[in-house]
Amino acid sequence: MNGLRSWIARRLLLGVLQTAAVVLLVFALTEALPGDAAVAFAGDQPDPQRIAAVREAMGLDRPAHERLADWVMGLLHGDFGTSLTSGRPVAGYLADGFGPTLLLASVTVVLLVPAGVGLGVLAARHEGRFTDRLISSTTLGVYAVPEFALGVLLVSVFALRLGWLPPTAVGYGTGLLAHPAVLVLPVLVLLSRPVCSLARLVRAGMIEALAAPYTAHATRYGISGARIRYGHALPNALAPATQQLARTIDWLLCGVIVVEALYVIPGLGTVLMNAVADRDIPVVQGLAVVFGIATVVLNLGADLVTHRLAPRSGVAA
Amino acid sequence: MNENPVIATVSGLTVEVDGRALVDRVSLRIRPGTVTALVGASGSGKTTTGLALLGEYPAGARVTGEVDVRGARIGYVPQHPAAVLNPARRTGSLLRDMARRQVRDLPRSRRRDAARQRVTEALADAQLTGSEEVLDRYPHQLSGGQQQRVVLAQALLLGARVIVADEPTTGQDALTKRRVVGQLAAVAARGIAVLLLSHDLDVVRELADEVLVMRGGRVVEQGPVHRVLDAPTHPWTKELLAEPRTLPYADPELTGAELLTVGGLTARHRTGGSRVTVLSVDRLTLRSGECLAVVGRSGSGKTTLARCLAGLHRDHTGTVLLEGKALPRSLRDRSREQLAAVQYVFQDARAAFDEHRPVLDQVARTAVRLHGTGHREATAEARQVLTDLGLDEILARRLPGRLSGGELQRAALARALLARPRVLVCDEITSGLDPVTRRSLLDLLAVLMRRPNGPSVVLITHDLDTAAPATRVAVLDGGQVVEEGPRERILTAPQHPFTAALLGASRGRGAAARP
Amino acid sequence: MKRLRRYGPGAAVAAVPLGLALAGPLLVGEPSARGASFTVGGGHWLGTDFVGRDVVQQVLLGGRPVVLVALAATALAYLVALPLGLISALTHRRWLEEVLMRPLDVLLAVPSLLMILLVAAAFPPGAAGLALLVAFVSIPDAARIVRAAAAEAASRPAVEALRMQGESWWRLAVGYVGRSILRTLAADAGIRLTGVLYLVATAAFLGIGVAPDAADWAVMVDRNRTGLLIQPWAVVVPALLIVALTMGSNLLVDAAMEKHTPPPKGRRPGSRP
Repeated sequence: MNGLRSWIARRLLLGVLQTAAVVLLVFALTEALPGDAAVAFAGDQPDPQRIAAVREAMGLDRPAHERLADWVMGLLHGDFGTSLTSGRPVAGYLADGFGPTLLLASVTVVLLVPAGVGLGVLAARHEGRFTDRLISSTTLGVYAVPEFALGVLLVSVFALRLGWLPPTAVGYGTGLLAHPAVLVLPVLVLLSRPVCSLARLVRAGMIEALAAPYTAHATRYGISGARIRYGHALPNALAPATQQLARTIDWLLCGVIVVEALYVIPGLGTVLMNAVADRDIPVVQGLAVVFGIATVVLNLGADLVTHRLAPRSGVAA
Repeated sequence: MNENPVIATVSGLTVEVDGRALVDRVSLRIRPGTVTALVGASGSGKTTTGLALLGEYPAGARVTGEVDVRGARIGYVPQHPAAVLNPARRTGSLLRDMARRQVRDLPRSRRRDAARQRVTEALADAQLTGSEEVLDRYPHQLSGGQQQRVVLAQALLLGARVIVADEPTTGQDALTKRRVVGQLAAVAARGIAVLLLSHDLDVVRELADEVLVMRGGRVVEQGPVHRVLDAPTHPWTKELLAEPRTLPYADPELTGAELLTVGGLTARHRTGGSRVTVLSVDRLTLRSGECLAVVGRSGSGKTTLARCLAGLHRDHTGTVLLEGKALPRSLRDRSREQLAAVQYVFQDARAAFDEHRPVLDQVARTAVRLHGTGHREATAEARQVLTDLGLDEILARRLPGRLSGGELQRAALARALLARPRVLVCDEITSGLDPVTRRSLLDLLAVLMRRPNGPSVVLITHDLDTAAPATRVAVLDGGQVVEEGPRERILTAPQHPFTAALLGASRGRGAAARP
Repeated sequence: MKRLRRYGPGAAVAAVPLGLALAGPLLVGEPSARGASFTVGGGHWLGTDFVGRDVVQQVLLGGRPVVLVALAATALAYLVALPLGLISALTHRRWLEEVLMRPLDVLLAVPSLLMILLVAAAFPPGAAGLALLVAFVSIPDAARIVRAAAAEAASRPAVEALRMQGESWWRLAVGYVGRSILRTLAADAGIRLTGVLYLVATAAFLGIGVAPDAADWAVMVDRNRTGLLIQPWAVVVPALLIVALTMGSNLLVDAAMEKHTPPPKGRRPGSRP
């Protein structure tokens, strides 16, 4: 038990370090802008007065470490700074975009695990037969396809040609939950890669576990097939899959940005892309910190689950 | 014995894979409460026969003949019990699942308690103490002995009338063997038949009623244990039964001055974040021309000691002197002469060779690197040493994957000998080899030692029979040398209780300490 | 025959996009005059795009950047990851290992596309910049896989046996460890290439590392989306090509791995996600 506690402590410490590093990295990158953030923001039509005003607003005349300290202190109090384009607080942008993104991500995650595990187990049960070949080759093929290409094709077929589903979320505002049809294509596209990778891992893990001596032993001693599959083999297959779940989070965050851009959903991804296009540095910084910390926290969770499922695998900590 | 009914019969069983017979026309009968032993080297078809009782055959096998167990449940205790324990589930999960199936007829309210009761009884029958705690642990958190008892408990819970025990004592030290023998005897005393698959003849002699000697899938000799083991008729049985070597490895006349001296040695291992001291040796010496056997159970620190000598374990304090001069802790810091002077032969010969290069090339590199010999001469020298150790050039030009374990261990010896070492550290070089191969390897070691300028040897082993012909014996327990002295004294008049226990266990199973 | 069955599906799927990417620019000929935006017909097989260019010509030109940037990024990532992973696996100085690998653990915590967006917000990159950037975000994972594979090989008794023979560090690192991990690395490089293809295309779709009117399949999908109702070919054709390219290369990599990896013994370090 002591080992477990020290492992958790080390893993948490790594998480804290990662968070700090993300914050530092975000600051350092924007600090490294050619000229400074004000010049960058002014863009193609440099207006000296405007630049001076932005400099003033961002306190760019003060030394970097002071600004870093201020910014970090602000972050700790939930103050993310002020947008350069609108003058609104960044926290407001985050609050606006949070709802749709959270909805999209949680629907995806809720569907991801049963779909991935289900497909994986199904393929493993029929190893080498038609069902398995169908699932295996589809998951293998779809797994590497970028969301935007798949998404555009689905829109062309299901929204434009067949007219079953709305092509984008334009006109539905933030009340997406009231119009589930709008969510179908985005969630489908977001699911595509993680489901495939999860299904492939679960399939491989199940096949390995079902062929393992401990499974043969349980069969030998009369345990029923279903009990062996779900009670004894599946836990072994899930351990590598949960490890992969952490990487899936990375994909989901990337996917959210693309899917929101593709379906014009006013979530955090859209806010981020707009801020990048406008070079609205405080908003980019704020969003990067939120995304970064979300990844760190979710990774941490996935590692803890993996550690529980596969007590022997020394998850990097 | 004849009124004892037969519970399982195998008649004319042949198991072929790709046209090669793993088991060839084997017949046997198993009676309750008796121990039937299948004896033979690895690859003789013991395990295939044993698994046939369970109705299991290798993939793609063609089976003829008949196996009749008359509906009796058959338990299985494999050589590596850890393999049949599910690594992702707590130890108790399979036991509980099994018990739950047995109590299905009871009213729902009483099932839970009844199932728990059955699990507890099975664990007690398997002599497993602290059962509640064990059930809640994962298999990797249990000791090897606990794992074995859990697997035995599973077989008992099943209500097995026959238990197939596959090599239950292979690679175990004398005390552990003693415990396993006790357990199996207790199982047989409950009226359960045991099919013992083993090449450990001491264990067979003590436990078995019936013995079948197998070679190449066939039974070459069978009968009551005393008849087969005391008056063998088949030459292969005779060879298997040949006494372990008793002649000293080293020539007592040749013992010289102190060669290797260990002083104030403390070695640590890093486990998790902390460093644990696993070995502390005040003083240990090896004189030139002698063989020092270091004996202990697994985890006693004997391999760490060997690795410290060879410079493979750097995390230690204290000194290792070669002829009075300190050897650097790490072999990275040792000069070529120092490297050549202390050579090491690994337990797992297969893992100690590069699988992609022919054995001959690898052996020759020793002469190239440590003595600056040219490639051509080094290869010639390697070829000659390999031939000398019984490996002809055709074998030597093969990749390691195509040599047997015994052949590879000879090649490993040749690789070390090419350095012309003063000290040869041999770490469990015979464990995992069958008795015949083991004996010939140890005889070879003696021949090498007795040559002019032959090496002095530090022989690391858990096996007292292997240690007995050494010049001196050091007994290691819990990282300490508990006793050290000439082999006659250690083996006949041990002073430390641990040594006595080790010897007692060895004697108890019929292998008298052979002074 | 066996080879055909193994590589057939992947090759069939990847052949068209790969062929177009490699040979397309040679077939394109003189750029034709610009017409009206989003028209169908009128001498243009697949119509015109958002600024009135011929879609067929754009398709012929648009594969090369994706493939070249992805290949360059994969090569670059390995150029850095290989020595990093090998050294940290083979050193016995723990601090050196920590110094080399810990920063990568931290980098691994940042979603790769976010990192690309962040850097791109600071320094808008060109094609070469995008390759560098994608390589940079691929290094941590590649280095970890190299290190894991090399550490496993380096912990085998064979390495200690070589040390006992007085072999040099180079012979150990390259001659034994390097050789032992070759298969794992080949498999991983294939997987990484498909991952990099994904990142390069997605970044281009989001407008990173490409001109707004570049001849690039991903950019075409993005820019011609506004005309999807009137002129779907300008979007659907490049999107299909990207799907075929990524899908086909993944199938090919998988087929190649099946041939080269021995039957699984536990989880291979390079086993695919």
